[in-house]
Amino acid sequence: MRVPLSWLKEFIDVKASAEEVAEILTMGGIEVEEVFDPYEELGELITVKVLEVSFPEKLKELALCRVTDGRQEFTLLTTAKDQVAPGLVLGAVKPGSMVFSGEKVEEKVVKGFKSYGMFLSPYEAGLGLEKDKLLSFPPDTPPGVSIYEVLKVVEPVLELAITPNRGDALSILGAARELYALTKWELREPSFEEGEGFELNEVVKIEDEDGCFRYTGRLLKGIEVRESPFYIQKRLWLCGQRPINNVVDITNYVMLELGQPLHAFDWETLEGRKIIVRKAREGEKLLMLDGVVRELSSEDLVIADAKRPVALAGIMGGEETGVREGTKEVFLEAAWFNPKRIRRTSQRLKVSTDSSYRFERCVDPEGVLKGLLRACELLKKEAGAKEVSRVIDVYPRPYKAPKIYVSFERVNQYLGFELNKEEVKEYLSRVGKVKEEKEGVEFIPFSYRQDLKIPEDLIEEIARIYGYEKIPTTFPVAELYAEAPLFEIKVLQKVREILSGLGFYEVVNYSFIDPSWIEALMLKDGDRRLKVLELANPLSVNQSVMRTSLVPGLIETARINYFREVSGLKAFELGKVFFPTDDVLAYEPYHLGILMMGYRDKDEWYAEDARFDIFDLKGVLEELFSALKLEVELRPYSEEPFLKRGLSFDLYLGEKKVGFAGGVKNLVLKAFDLKEVVFVAEVDLEALLEPLKDAWEKVEVKKPPKYPSTFRDVTCIVKKELKIGEIFKYIKSLEVPWLEEVKCIKIYEGPPIPEGEKSISLRFWYRAKDRTLKDEEVNQVQEELARKIFEHFGARPR
Amino acid sequence: MTSSELENLRKGALEELSKIESLSELEGFKVKFLGKKGVITQKLKSLKSLPLEEKRQVGSFLNRLKEELLRGIQNKEKELLFKEEDRDLGIDLTLPGRKRAIGAIHPLNVVINELCEIFGRLGFSIATGPEVETEYYNFTALNIPDWHPARDMQATFYLKNGAILRTHTSPIQIRTMLKKKPPLRIVAPGKVYRYDADVRHSPMFHQIEGLMVDKRVSFADLKGILTYFAQETFGEGTRVRFRPSYFPFTEPSVEMDIGCVICGGKGCRVCSHTGWLEILGAGMVHPEVFKAAGYDPSEWQGFAFGMGIERIAMIKYGIDDIRLFFENHRNFLQSFK
Ligand SMILES: [Zn+2]
Repeated sequence: MRVPLSWLKEFIDVKASAEEVAEILTMGGIEVEEVFDPYEELGELITVKVLEVSFPEKLKELALCRVTDGRQEFTLLTTAKDQVAPGLVLGAVKPGSMVFSGEKVEEKVVKGFKSYGMFLSPYEAGLGLEKDKLLSFPPDTPPGVSIYEVLKVVEPVLELAITPNRGDALSILGAARELYALTKWELREPSFEEGEGFELNEVVKIEDEDGCFRYTGRLLKGIEVRESPFYIQKRLWLCGQRPINNVVDITNYVMLELGQPLHAFDWETLEGRKIIVRKAREGEKLLMLDGVVRELSSEDLVIADAKRPVALAGIMGGEETGVREGTKEVFLEAAWFNPKRIRRTSQRLKVSTDSSYRFERCVDPEGVLKGLLRACELLKKEAGAKEVSRVIDVYPRPYKAPKIYVSFERVNQYLGFELNKEEVKEYLSRVGKVKEEKEGVEFIPFSYRQDLKIPEDLIEEIARIYGYEKIPTTFPVAELYAEAPLFEIKVLQKVREILSGLGFYEVVNYSFIDPSWIEALMLKDGDRRLKVLELANPLSVNQSVMRTSLVPGLIETARINYFREVSGLKAFELGKVFFPTDDVLAYEPYHLGILMMGYRDKDEWYAEDARFDIFDLKGVLEELFSALKLEVELRPYSEEPFLKRGLSFDLYLGEKKVGFAGGVKNLVLKAFDLKEVVFVAEVDLEALLEPLKDAWEKVEVKKPPKYPSTFRDVTCIVKKELKIGEIFKYIKSLEVPWLEEVKCIKIYEGPPIPEGEKSISLRFWYRAKDRTLKDEEVNQVQEELARKIFEHFGARPR
Repeated sequence: MTSSELENLRKGALEELSKIESLSELEGFKVKFLGKKGVITQKLKSLKSLPLEEKRQVGSFLNRLKEELLRGIQNKEKELLFKEEDRDLGIDLTLPGRKRAIGAIHPLNVVINELCEIFGRLGFSIATGPEVETEYYNFTALNIPDWHPARDMQATFYLKNGAILRTHTSPIQIRTMLKKKPPLRIVAPGKVYRYDADVRHSPMFHQIEGLMVDKRVSFADLKGILTYFAQETFGEGTRVRFRPSYFPFTEPSVEMDIGCVICGGKGCRVCSHTGWLEILGAGMVHPEVFKAAGYDPSEWQGFAFGMGIERIAMIKYGIDDIRLFFENHRNFLQSFK
């Protein structure tokens, strides 16, 4: 909300600069976002000296003036032929700047003659009503200077950010009251007289007392609708509003000034000359001032005449009954509506106005009449209102101020330091009535401070008026206790450390994704990842469903990097995926996603420019699970339809599938517009938590060996299809004595090995725990083992 | 054998040793003088025939010479070995090393870890909660009824099943209090979601929530803890200021600013020329929140605070576009290893 300092000064004796006032308000809880001068913001409105005036025939009504701003000469066109002459110093505005009427000035060309901006009238300069006169200066005024500098026009305006609890501060008077509370500068509370009026009975009826707590109104006759006087236009403009006509402007002016929204009806358009405050009928329609017809529901509160709704209460008036040119009689409304009802309707119909904004945030019930009277005063003065009715005031639920008790002890204990009684009473007395009661105060807030309801609210008032900055800074005294960190956080952290140590970058992707990303995975019917939680109001379709897998996000990460010159990427993500449940809440387990894209090493003197392959990914997973002390088996092949089957695993912990890994199919990558090799893995960390707890409890510590090991190699020729894993599994099943480890150290295909076969070399390590093994005993075991392997797999020695 | 003969023998041997240039020559030298049939060995053997006095003198000279030569041989050997290994191998050592790149933890998690660690020192433990929430926990229990304009402060994403995406980490306060008895000290980091997107806002971002409940935790204590946090996070000399503000779930409410780290408080674009940067919102826990969580507000009091992780990270690292965090470009992520 904008508060012109000059307007504020009408209500309070400001004893500081605009910047200082801003600082006081900000540190008091009303944040001032900016102090600015709307005149300065207009742009380049400057003095120019007329050098030459000519009247080219083609231009007829226009004069062509050559002028200078002291640095540069340019031409301006004007219709005010008789007001221009060489030597005069006039006000002008350059292209790109704004003028008071809200127009943006552009360079114009008329019949080949250029007007680089235009001359200013006092009106366009925001200095007076005159529109046909040119703004002129004494001839010795230097050109090229801001006209406001010359005229010493300074209008600092404070831009206030008002929190939702402080509806009372949404006006000039409200800002003044707040400033008073913070500074105790002299406040001038306005008061207005009702004066004489003719009788007007049985006009207003409140049918919905829950919606309207108070309705005041007054009929004004002899209205002349015309342009507002300049001071009203100027103040509206300073507050960022456009003038419309005097009646509408006055309602806006009073709302800005006192915070009370008002509405003016054209009395003669009201059927039956009645004002009925009632619930709308379901489906009832209303053409509103913004030109939109809205369908109303029975929850909405309307102002109706004898026949139809004429305004959406507290939000916006109807088009048919609004004030227009020629309106002679005005019925002026000032009311106090139920904030909840106004908000509900405003939200449902998605229409918010200055009026609804204030009603939602609670207007001052005792300020309603003040608003009405102030507007009447102005309508008499500036809109010719001659005859006025008596004030109608229907007030079915009079406002009752709460009594709040707070003890001095509570204040001090809450704030953490000693504040004396007098100070407590003094600060509270600036926002309400205070009575010392027992060991505390009984407090009744001023009617405009409806946010003050409980003792803690009073403590805040005391604290902020005293000054948050002055409150001491202490450390709490609390009992010492400690809690072990959450296990899941320990696991996430461990995974983070392992993978970043292995050269992977952690990424964070959005939890909501494009539904087409799930489609791209080509999941089979019935896959639970197809059942996604959908957003009801997504920002866009590509963020409209909650992810059920980390894979699409990771492929997108790959794509972004690939297209921005990253040839190889190792990344991982730790984040939740979301599945619907029978409950409202989701099942949201943590998953780990791993990505390897493109080249392992590229463009390095030592590199072979090789792309990642499945064994890079497998190695990482093996190391990860080994470091996590979990025996996760990588079983070929995965059933995931988006993985290349021949290059994929499902991950098993015992007989439970906990994830998958493999190369992503090209067709899937194509959906992401990516032409580079991508390997991914995804692990359900939730499924690992319990096993991890067990695994981490008992760490097996290996000691350096006491006795030496010995190894034996076997090279044999086997069928090409034979999987090394099967040989390992077989060997394991044999329970060979002293055998510590087996490794495949070489695989060879090609001549002289016959087609369809391959040569494999295995190395066996033997070690006894209690002695050094003798060659003969190892040989014996090894020969027996080799024989079994050959026999079992139909292998032959090479 | 005269002493001059002996001296000549010594000189000759030493000179020969000094001229040796290879290990094989050195071996030859060793055999020649000290081998079984070597000059000195022979001479020592022939001592027997000498008179006692001469035997003693010559013997001791030869033994000293033997020692001297052994030392010389050792030194020579070292010298020759080093000479071999110290030669220029013609390898271009200006080539870069074989890359063994470590990765990096995402900057947002780096910041979260750091904040959890700072508050961990003060005895705050970590709590978590669901990202898909109910309106009750996200708003109502936090004293934000559905008609309240304060709901406008947090534009909400709704799910079609009626749930919402939490707009702040504050529901974790309620969930934790419902589970645990006071006293309580927690921090709760996590993702939050708001219907908002531009250079400074992301529809998904991270927050960390803090809550301390005890018998006598005061507003002054809130200032103490948060000042400590700010100085640990942004540097010892960091200035802080506390402004009154409004959050439905705290009373009194406060916002904390730090002196602008960009301009040092002189005023710049980043701090909108105020010299201050808004860092977090906080306040004393509202009695209604305690009631919703089953704590007796006449017995317990405490403070809560919440802050945006992206904002902290942006200030700390001088990042001006929030989208960088979610683009995950390698070059950006690399900066945080
Ligand atoms: Zn700055």
